[in-house]
Amino acid sequence: MSLITPLALLAAAIVGPFIVAMYLLKLRREERTVSSTFLWQRMVRDVEANAPWQKLRRNLLLLLQLLLMLLLVLALARPYLAAQGISGRNLIIIIDHSASMGATDEPPTRLHAARERAYQLIDQLPDGGRATVIATGGRMEVPAAATSDRRELRRAVERIQLSNGGSSDLSQALTLAAALAAREEDSEVAIISDGNVTLPTNLRVPARVSYFPVGRATENMAVSAIALQPGTTGQTLFVQVTNYGQASATHRLDLYLDGAIFNAYNLTIEAGRDQSLIIELPPQVEVVEARLDGADAMPADDRAFAVSPATEATTVRLVTAGNRFLETGLSLLPGLNVVTVPAATTTFTETVAQVPVTILDGVALPELPPGNLLFINPLRSTAYFSVTGTIEFPQVRPASGEDPMLRNVSLSEVSVLKAARIVPGNWGRVVVNSDGGPLLVVGEREGRRVAVLSFDLHESDLPLQIAFPLLLSNLMNFLAPGSGAEAAQLTPSQPLSRQMDATITEVRVTRPDGRTVSSRSGEVQIQAGQAIYADTDALGIYTVEELVGDSVVGRHRYAVNLFAPGESRIATQRDLSIPQTSGASSTVSRERDSRQEFWRLVALIALIVLLVEWLVYQRNGLAYLRERWRQRAGDRQSPLRS
Amino acid sequence: MNQRASEPLLESAFLRQLDRLALVLRRPMAGDIQGERRSPRRGSSVEFADFRPYARGDDIRQIDWNLYARAERFYLKLFVAEEELNVHLLVDTSASMDWGAPNKLHYARELAAAYGYIALANLDRVSVTAFGAGPGALQLPGVRGKRGAVPLFAFLQRLQPGKHGDLAQACHRYIQSARATGPLLLCSDLLDAGWKDALSALASRPFEITVMHILAPQELEPDLEGDLKLIDVESGAPVEISANLDLMRRYKAHLAAWRGEIESFCNGRGIIYVPVDTSVPVEEFVLGRMRRRGVLR
Repeated sequence: MSLITPLALLAAAIVGPFIVAMYLLKLRREERTVSSTFLWQRMVRDVEANAPWQKLRRNLLLLLQLLLMLLLVLALARPYLAAQGISGRNLIIIIDHSASMGATDEPPTRLHAARERAYQLIDQLPDGGRATVIATGGRMEVPAAATSDRRELRRAVERIQLSNGGSSDLSQALTLAAALAAREEDSEVAIISDGNVTLPTNLRVPARVSYFPVGRATENMAVSAIALQPGTTGQTLFVQVTNYGQASATHRLDLYLDGAIFNAYNLTIEAGRDQSLIIELPPQVEVVEARLDGADAMPADDRAFAVSPATEATTVRLVTAGNRFLETGLSLLPGLNVVTVPAATTTFTETVAQVPVTILDGVALPELPPGNLLFINPLRSTAYFSVTGTIEFPQVRPASGEDPMLRNVSLSEVSVLKAARIVPGNWGRVVVNSDGGPLLVVGEREGRRVAVLSFDLHESDLPLQIAFPLLLSNLMNFLAPGSGAEAAQLTPSQPLSRQMDATITEVRVTRPDGRTVSSRSGEVQIQAGQAIYADTDALGIYTVEELVGDSVVGRHRYAVNLFAPGESRIATQRDLSIPQTSGASSTVSRERDSRQEFWRLVALIALIVLLVEWLVYQRNGLAYLRERWRQRAGDRQSPLRS
Repeated sequence: MNQRASEPLLESAFLRQLDRLALVLRRPMAGDIQGERRSPRRGSSVEFADFRPYARGDDIRQIDWNLYARAERFYLKLFVAEEELNVHLLVDTSASMDWGAPNKLHYARELAAAYGYIALANLDRVSVTAFGAGPGALQLPGVRGKRGAVPLFAFLQRLQPGKHGDLAQACHRYIQSARATGPLLLCSDLLDAGWKDALSALASRPFEITVMHILAPQELEPDLEGDLKLIDVESGAPVEISANLDLMRRYKAHLAAWRGEIESFCNGRGIIYVPVDTSVPVEEFVLGRMRRRGVLR
């Protein structure tokens, strides 16, 4: 035990003698004149002879008062015990609430354990210290910013809920934490996580970073992919199960078709390996659920859903002078009905509902058709971009590593002869870049999705590579959502959006938990011909119903699955390597870092001593009351005696 | 006390009741002059007592000649002497008596007055001695007859509390100086370490002693609370106590034991012990309790 303000003990040296002096003064008792002390003298002699402890009892009050004073002084000196935890006065708590924190190896979940840890840290916060709570993993939230109100902090921590969406990327949170820490002295960053996070590489946190790992389990098996494709006679189900653990494991995979069990498969998978199943299913099946039985640490990834793709095909208008690559590529994509239009066509009468996507391949139209647009090799500027020239032999490189447009697409082998130099508006994001300018830009503007591929497919070897159909598939998934098998699958928190006819008056979404939300209450938004429902964090089947008046005109299902390898690898990291200003990059928190103050306990004891002192002071009155009570009880028992 | 001095010590109605009372004596007592009480001496009353053979020097006028005629020997005819009684009233006026509500000294005055009045009404001689005011005792030499009630009451009303009285010493001195024995009424609180000595001294001569042990209700049931320093009104000696229920209980037990000790001490010496609580009105006490105790009749 040590003291934070040992100087406060000096108060004892001042107040102590004062109390003793006052007590000695008090010892001059109240004087009372009596006829004679003759009787008293004899009795007091008796008493003193019989009870040598009488003197001590007379001093009991003094002793209690001194004890009370000492306790109060001790509380003022703020004693503490060294404990594992934090020591900074400006604490930034980063709590991981990604899907992996839903693992049940720390019952009930890792997130609960993390919350408990956070409560401990908040309790350890020195007086006057402030704390910020950042929830990361999925959407980053800051439920409590730089407050010293412990109750508010606890409430903020309590409010943090598991988020299935997004990845455990600490970059954003750490950047914010670093910025907060840089503003104040004596800052400390506490990361409460299972350690399965992405760390920024180039960030140096200007504070001490402590990492509090949560979780024990390492074994986890997950349904890592599921897809339902229409086949020739029926439907084909593709299920992939991956063992993310460190030991081989056997689990049974149960398949449910529209809620009824269909079949079960015993799967034994080596550590780190996966196993795929391809199963033919009857054509009328609408919802497939794959469920791994048995309890493993993470239940969220043991279930996956697939829905039968929309039967009606999406019409895609291809305005081209003739492009065999494109036509072949589009015809391979399921759920698309490609209508080729001659390049000379200038007017389009179909509505968005009829033709949602138009591909403009090397044509320049005076007026753009409605719906989503894919420009390929644009000849001149449009409202969305300007063409300012050409680029010769652009070096193709992806703009960022993780763009969904480039999923499974490798561009390293692709060469381009010549591309248009385009300058997109600020609606778009560059997906593929080159030295001279962007090669692929996608984006959304006024409810309309637009993609621009700035080179002619004939002047590139892209169509000859495996990357082309994949890129085309990704682009069409973006431009024509709701088509194809992928469209009906969403990742958690990915907004569910659907092209709407103008005649639709209401959209209802039935969530996996059975709750129904409607566009009438504003929970489902309809804007610019799209119905958008953003709260898709819960895993399972979402059913979207489109209503005209009171009648349902369309029903579509969407499956939200976790499918996040980063989250399914639940083995807890024991250390995170984060560069800190001290030069250290280990974040294992050390013993004796924290001060666990316990002056409150001391103050509580002082309060009890105060109560005892008061009782001792009033012992006569209490004895009198007791006597009276006993007498009364005696009277009640024997009313005849009186 | 002074404002009380203007009032009569005893009410006239009470005095009329006292007229009907008399002192109770357990044995005849000798007096100085002729009175109305039987004396142990043979005297000249009309009441025959005894015969005795004539011895030389006897008064020949007392020879019973009728008996001589029959027995031819001289016999003296003896009669019971009737003499007055010497009633002694001893009032303790030490400072401890001037305490309590009702005041103990005032109560002692009233008791002494009542007792004295009864004696005067029976033509006895009453002398009052107040001790407590220093070494010298204040004395009212004997008064007789109902006329004597006036100086008696005046004397009693004049009594002022003294400072410190040594009860034993005062009693010794009184015993040595008193000429005739007789009924003796001691009004005191006996709150003196020498109470045994004092009572022994009084009992050493054949007085008929009645001890009026006067205590105020505040002494019988003290109402004390907390840490106190008790100051003796006589000696000024302090005693520190922490008054609580337990101490009060012990005090009462102690007081009862002390009174028991005095009573048994008195019984052993033929002293009548009468405990007095000043909260009882003096009329009720004299007419009721004292008659029951066999002091008055």
